[in-house]
Amino acid sequence: MEEARDYQVNLEVFQGPLDLLLFLIRKKKIDIHDIPIATITKEYLAYLSQKEKINLEREGEFLLIAALLIYIKSQMLLPREIEPDDGDDPRQILVDRLLDFQKIKAASTLLREKEDQQTKIWKRSVPLPTPTTEEMEVVEVSLFELAEAFLSLMKKKEQENVRLIHGKEYSLEEKMKELIERLQEHGYLDFCEYFNAQESIEEALISFFCLLELIKARIVMAIQESLFHTIKVWPTQEAQP
Amino acid sequence: MMTRLKDVIESLIFVSLEPLNLEKIKSICTEFSNGEIEDAIQELVASYASNERGIQIIQAAGGYLFSTKSEYDQWIRRLLRLDQKSKLSRAALETLATVAYHQPVTLAEISAFRGVDATYSLKTLLQKKLVKITGRKKSPGRPLIYRTSDKFLTYFGLNNITDLPSEEEIIKILDEERLDD
Repeated sequence: MEEARDYQVNLEVFQGPLDLLLFLIRKKKIDIHDIPIATITKEYLAYLSQKEKINLEREGEFLLIAALLIYIKSQMLLPREIEPDDGDDPRQILVDRLLDFQKIKAASTLLREKEDQQTKIWKRSVPLPTPTTEEMEVVEVSLFELAEAFLSLMKKKEQENVRLIHGKEYSLEEKMKELIERLQEHGYLDFCEYFNAQESIEEALISFFCLLELIKARIVMAIQESLFHTIKVWPTQEAQP
Repeated sequence: MMTRLKDVIESLIFVSLEPLNLEKIKSICTEFSNGEIEDAIQELVASYASNERGIQIIQAAGGYLFSTKSEYDQWIRRLLRLDQKSKLSRAALETLATVAYHQPVTLAEISAFRGVDATYSLKTLLQKKLVKITGRKKSPGRPLIYRTSDKFLTYFGLNNITDLPSEEEIIKILDEERLDD
């Protein structure tokens, strides 16, 4: 029990290997620009060996840094024919990463302060943050469901048994433009309605390909309000300016 | 009756759910000069800030919007039956800080900065719409490029991306931490 809790605490405290390294450097009151690699490696390995089992997936990154520390030490120990320039300190890569990391941590402390201030202020644009809003029930449609809906529509079209002779060729690019323009105009697009309005099977097929491309690029998303409901296509928030 | 520009602007901000920017206000109030509009906004913001009111006009994401004053937080939470407004996790916040300071940035770059895989926290941030995808990098694999969104600015009460804590502020924090050790 006790041990399990310790482990959790460790996970809470260290957001990754750089975080741990920074913690050790601070604990030993070491100047970040002048890290005694051997000392810090020993500390680092001691931390890793505290854990009886190593979860490779999670600790892989920690081991990677341990390997880097040992590599740096070996570089510093090996005699060289040509004395490296001052700028060639093998520790530099690590120092640079740590400095960047330290800055991000400090920045997130500042952002947290701002967040604290802002959570006390309520804006009208914020929807009531109750856990079960209707919006939550909206399901993003899988490719499978989309294809199924498309096939059933195609079947309907075939049954119409209308023969049209067309010389027109459709390009993916044109269709994509048309789709996006429609979305910008109407806000959303009803999947069934849109495909029913297509003149021929060829055109419907091309439109479907376009839709898939747009979903893949995360420009649009297909959403079903609830099971068996019609599928609607919305532009994603990210794609909006 | 004379139309009071200040009241016009007040009503415009009131109906806007998103921050209403100055350009928009100018394009609507064509009868008035830019100077008049700017003065009226100043006056309006000041009147809300000083008077005995529970709401105020704040500047966020480049526009103006109504918000409550922070003093009344606990009563609002009572109304909404909320103990605490949920906050970002540490991992999410650090990932967000990475995006904010290094944008435009890819997932691999974010992970490298943080020393851990950022896939999960980035997904959370995308869902919260604090981060947006702005395209693909023209490099092998065509990775997606991420930037902070306008909602990011509103969330942290920033008017502009340049309002982010500056390098000096960050260094100050680091110095303080060193003294604490």
